[in-house]
Amino acid sequence: MEDKYREANRPATYAAANRDIIRPLLTPTAMWFGAFVLAIAAMLYGGYCWYLQITWGMGVAGIKHPTFWGVYIVTFVFWVGIGHAGTLISAILYLVRSRWRTGVYRASEAMTIFAVMTALLFPALHLGRVWQMYWFFPYPNQRELWMNFKSPLMWDVFAISTYFTISSVFFYVGLVPDMAIVRDHSTGLVKRIYNVLALGWRGTHKQWHSYMAAYGFFAAFAAPLVLSVHSVVSWDFAMANTAGWHSTLFPPYFVAGAIFSGCAMVITLLMPMTILFKWEDYVNTWHFENLAKMCLLTSGILTYSYAMEYFIAWYSQNPYEQYIFWWRTFGEQWWIFATMVFCNCIAPLVWYYRPWRQNWTILFIVSIFVNIGMWFERLNIVASSTSRSFDPSTWDLYWPTAVEWGILIGSAGWFSFWFLLFAKTLPGVAITEIKEMVVPPVKGSLED
Amino acid sequence: MAGLNRRDFLKALGIGSSASVMAACRLDDNRYYTPIEQVLPYVVKPEQITPGTPTFFATSVGTGPNAHTVLARHRDGRVINVGANRRSPMAGIVPTDALFELQRHFSPDRYQAPAKKGGEATDWDAARSELVAGIKAAKSGGKKVAWLGPYASGSIVKLLDDVTDGNAVYWEPLGYEADALAAEKVFGKRVLPGYDLAKAKYIVSFGADFLSGWGGWELANQYAKAKDPNEGGFVARFALVSPYQDQTGANADDWYQCKPGAQAQVALAVAKLVAAKKGYNGPAARLVAAGDPAAAAAASGLGEGDIDAIAAQIVSRDSVVLPGGASGATTAATELAMACFLINVVSGMAGKTFGLGTAYTGPVHSYGDVKALIDAMNAGSIGALLLGDVNPAYALPADSGFAEAVGKVPFVASFSSHPDETNALANVILPVADVFEDWGDEEVHAGLRLLRQPAQSPMYGALSLGDVLLAAARDAGLQAAAAAPVEGEVEGEATEAPAEGEEAAPAVAGPIGFTPATFREYVKAVWKAEYSGANFDQWFSERLADGFMHHDTAIGAAPISAGAPALAGTAAIEGEGEYFLHAYPHPFRKDGRFANQPWAQETPDPMTGMVWDSWVCVNPKTAERMGWSRNDLLELKTAAGSIQVGVEFYPGVREDVLAVAFGQGHAANGRYANGVGANVVSLLSAKADSFGALAWQQAKVAFNKVGTAELVTTIGSDTDQMRMMAPIADADTLAKVGDAESAHPGEMTGIHHLPLDARLHERGAVDFYGMTDHPTYRWGMTVDINACTGCGACSVACYAENNLPVVGKAKVRDGREMGWIRVNRYWGYDEAKPGLPVENRFLPMMCQQCAHAPCESVCPVLATYHTIDGLNAMVYNRCVGTRYCANNCPYIARRFNYHSYVWPEPFNLQLNPDVVTRTMGVMEKCTFCVQRLRSTKSAYRDQGIDRVPDEALEQITACAEACPTDAISFGNLVDPESGVTKHTKSGRAYQVFAELNTMSAVTYLAKASYHRAEDPHHGGGHGEEHGEAGGEHHEPEAHGDAHGGEHAEPAPKAEGAHHEEPAHGADH
Repeated sequence: MEDKYREANRPATYAAANRDIIRPLLTPTAMWFGAFVLAIAAMLYGGYCWYLQITWGMGVAGIKHPTFWGVYIVTFVFWVGIGHAGTLISAILYLVRSRWRTGVYRASEAMTIFAVMTALLFPALHLGRVWQMYWFFPYPNQRELWMNFKSPLMWDVFAISTYFTISSVFFYVGLVPDMAIVRDHSTGLVKRIYNVLALGWRGTHKQWHSYMAAYGFFAAFAAPLVLSVHSVVSWDFAMANTAGWHSTLFPPYFVAGAIFSGCAMVITLLMPMTILFKWEDYVNTWHFENLAKMCLLTSGILTYSYAMEYFIAWYSQNPYEQYIFWWRTFGEQWWIFATMVFCNCIAPLVWYYRPWRQNWTILFIVSIFVNIGMWFERLNIVASSTSRSFDPSTWDLYWPTAVEWGILIGSAGWFSFWFLLFAKTLPGVAITEIKEMVVPPVKGSLED
Repeated sequence: MAGLNRRDFLKALGIGSSASVMAACRLDDNRYYTPIEQVLPYVVKPEQITPGTPTFFATSVGTGPNAHTVLARHRDGRVINVGANRRSPMAGIVPTDALFELQRHFSPDRYQAPAKKGGEATDWDAARSELVAGIKAAKSGGKKVAWLGPYASGSIVKLLDDVTDGNAVYWEPLGYEADALAAEKVFGKRVLPGYDLAKAKYIVSFGADFLSGWGGWELANQYAKAKDPNEGGFVARFALVSPYQDQTGANADDWYQCKPGAQAQVALAVAKLVAAKKGYNGPAARLVAAGDPAAAAAASGLGEGDIDAIAAQIVSRDSVVLPGGASGATTAATELAMACFLINVVSGMAGKTFGLGTAYTGPVHSYGDVKALIDAMNAGSIGALLLGDVNPAYALPADSGFAEAVGKVPFVASFSSHPDETNALANVILPVADVFEDWGDEEVHAGLRLLRQPAQSPMYGALSLGDVLLAAARDAGLQAAAAAPVEGEVEGEATEAPAEGEEAAPAVAGPIGFTPATFREYVKAVWKAEYSGANFDQWFSERLADGFMHHDTAIGAAPISAGAPALAGTAAIEGEGEYFLHAYPHPFRKDGRFANQPWAQETPDPMTGMVWDSWVCVNPKTAERMGWSRNDLLELKTAAGSIQVGVEFYPGVREDVLAVAFGQGHAANGRYANGVGANVVSLLSAKADSFGALAWQQAKVAFNKVGTAELVTTIGSDTDQMRMMAPIADADTLAKVGDAESAHPGEMTGIHHLPLDARLHERGAVDFYGMTDHPTYRWGMTVDINACTGCGACSVACYAENNLPVVGKAKVRDGREMGWIRVNRYWGYDEAKPGLPVENRFLPMMCQQCAHAPCESVCPVLATYHTIDGLNAMVYNRCVGTRYCANNCPYIARRFNYHSYVWPEPFNLQLNPDVVTRTMGVMEKCTFCVQRLRSTKSAYRDQGIDRVPDEALEQITACAEACPTDAISFGNLVDPESGVTKHTKSGRAYQVFAELNTMSAVTYLAKASYHRAEDPHHGGGHGEEHGEAGGEHHEPEAHGDAHGGEHAEPAPKAEGAHHEEPAHGADH
């Protein structure tokens, strides 16, 4: 492992690491500005669509009875899923001392936080009366109104807010030594800001000791959340009696799906960053190949889960289940199912061939497929079961409207906004951890 | 905070908060209906009115033979709803017509002032003097004053006949003209014979839509009684002889797909066979001698065996034969009605299920009479034409020349309170008070008279028709006719002389003339003239409180008139090609009179689920042959004209017939009707049969596909996909035991219907969650699928009671209709007769108020919860709109407010003050009319009664109250003696999706069918096999789909429907 890393990071020195990773934080390029403006424009457009929805009611969206949930829930689950890879990589891989995490964990953690922030938009976007959203929280009130702790949506509130809190703190803890490096490399106002953010980090032995303890503690804290959060999200469906949702298979199946989509999203995001910021010394084929392997594993679990759903439907003799799974495959919206199967089960198979797994173009394209496929998977779950409800008289088909698409674009803009901001303000690769991997310099040969 | 001092900060704070307040106000004005009104107390409280509590006025809606007694629910100065008058001898129901009338009453399109030609508003004095001048001019010119209006009976007929010197024509499109003419020929009296379906065990209809108002709503109620397995030990069998199954026909046990035009021949052949089988040799034998089963079979496409089977069924038990209505009105319409009457006579049913004793004796004119009036107008002999609330300019074929003839009349006045195509022809429009604002009376039949009284003061100061006519007659110096009928231009008016003279002969004290100052006085005078007792005023106010006067009347005999003509029974259908046009009355919009009522447009069509449109019903096989798909736009063409309508697949129509409903395609009927759908009358020409009845079924039709239509339906699937939503019980088995308590409730349905915990208890297991505690009440409902005819009255009544918004066609297409109770329609098929839908079922579906409600547990903010009375309550104020509850409801009974809906004024006046209107983002649903439950409970508690008696609950909800067949009953499931509790123990009781362990409070009673025992696969009673939940029980459903699959999704597996082991239920 050690050798492999060295081989992959030949030119790395402490100075090079500092220089290379801090470089993107310097004056923004026109390209960055372009992307940033685009993200803001998308956000504004999404905001406008949301304004329309708040003004005129949920009727501007495509939801209808019997499909009361639409792409907002689909996309909520999608982003929550994306938000799993970061913590998996930073916490679980840290705990199991998997060294390839070093190059990718910062970016994927940032992705996690922004993905959860994006996901958190959707419960609000989805609410009929968003202005009453605070009723979700156990705030003290004279009427002694309380929430319903039996509702899976309530569990969501707690699961996701916990996850967001812990992963943010964990992210920040990991950032502290790097903040100090940036502080030391900057001047003026910027230095003052990073000075505050670095919390007085001086790199003393005691600080390092406490830091490592805290980092381990938070890693241990965050690790079970990786598994629990998406399990809870899956209960939104599994606890409902709707055919096609009401299944004990959902928690593991959702967690696998979340890791699958998250790792694919890390490839999608980190690969352009690596190329643009010339981080090939720190992030390279080895990392992407490992991410692809994670995807392969989880893709296999997903494929097995999909197959199991059909088996359970057949074995249960439950006519509603049987109908739903028949309809998903052969009904009017069969192509949603087909897209899902192609993107999630078939496309990743190319990664079994090592040269393709190491080919950045193929890695990138397949990761895009996985992103699409996982969105369609949630659409397949949410829209199909509800549009073919128990009472055939009520059957109808769901498809999103322009407003819903607009809000989706806006949410993508929101995510991009934060991610672009991250790329410009925080070290995208953990400098201190990279330095741990670098061959210690011989005394006297240091540049600084 | 450098640079911002305290003063500036406070300024900014003030500006900021006032801006936000302003923004809030603007939002409020735009988005919500928040009336700003002053609430002032009465200085002197009217005697009958207590603010906040309803007052009920017994009155009647509908006119002539369609009149029905109801209670108008008055609240704070306005009528807000119509309820059942259960004190009356008529069925205690609310006809849908009454609800549409209610909405019409508050229509924003209603005239607010009299108008001149071209729509220029005028005032009442000017309009009335114009009316007087018009009448005077006619009289001085030696010309006649004529009236053309809808069916009417009672005092207004007397007054109109006096005003017009007998030149009054009472005609309605799609009316009873053929029946009246037939009765005149066969029995010598122009009356509408009375029927008693309740006593019949075999009911044959040749097309009359008697389950959606034909012959009065009383018939639908009687039909349900005939079908009731608890009465008479028999479930009546219903046969339909018609090319098309309308909502009425869809209830038929046997559908004989008679070719259009051959109904009369079939009826005559049946009559002859019945006479032969019965050995009848009375005076009617001669009349039916021409019946020829072989020729009828050839002409109708039925087998001779079918015709013989109908005759055999008729003679084998008590029967009744109903004529064709508008669906059977071919060029042999009158002959069809005659033949039907004669079947009832020769089968010996006259005096039992059929008779003239309860006949409607008010004036019923035919198209022949209208034609005579048109001819008189053309000849210039009509000086003034007074038009009632009838719309011939829309409903008569163009070549009748009605519009042109009206143009030749010097003075035309219309008394319609709403715009329509005919009003546009009038010189002056006097929008008189409507049915909820006026006095009046109706004579349903000898022995039953209904009173009408204002239930609110007239809107816009509208005047009573009677008042206006009385004053005009006095001002114009008219002389009331003598008591003897005056010979008039119009033929056949001899029968319109008040027939009650026979009944109360001694009391007629000469003509009342025009002396009473008001029509109220007039009505009183008419009643007084026939009253022989003492203290008339007290007696009359008692009748007024009741809303009716009744004494038992025998259905009477039906003696054949000596001069009755023999029948031939052939009809001619003209036109090219092989496809017949079948035009049928729509159950809601009827002849088009209710087309401008949003409820009549938005409540889904019972058979197709269509809203806000016209469509053509095409047999799927025809469509397959022609290569049409659903929603194709067809242009239908006849010699008379063409219309464009979208294709709907419809197995209940003959393969060579294209069926289109009447009542759409208005040009000048108001904002909700104009331009909606197409008027099928455009395809017809003014063709009458040899007796003068208009032939509505007269043409063959050519067609070509011209594009794609935008039909909107609320029905998602044509069958129940073998999900046992509406199982079938064998009729014979059921008739033996009725709804008596069964050892194995539901055994006849073939499905496990028991709530899960009861089954677990049987096995010694306990439900994980246990039953919710209901100490005093658990509100429950029973819906008898066997009685449900799919008429949709429950849906409309719910709109009226619960302030449900109407969303319009586009929003229904988007799946945003708000109806809390929908009537699912499932086509049913009989394997023995491929392609024939015979086990169609209607399943009213509303919130099931589950004891283990899937919706309750998932709401994050507890906006929906289980009450101690067993309701699944909904707190609108608490709802944040996650819609999780609706997703989790297997019945999809919840409705979401996708928008805030606004009631255009003055529709808002109809809103029920006891029910809050909901705004966007909030979930809503049926709560068993909780506002009524609460007020009833309170009323009883005030009297010291802790538990409301069953009688007070049975029809307490709006849907149960409205249901014409009493299919819905309500009560307390905690009370072991209540009706609903007993129903749950019936052998045909079941709950929809009971296997999901929702423990619903709604019990359905399965429909009885005669198509089960005949099929070896079906097996009659499943009772003995109870407990062996094997593969057998579900089979009755399994084959249904084999035919239903034409446009239904094939299901993944043909077996095992609903037969999980008990423990499989959800939510464990």
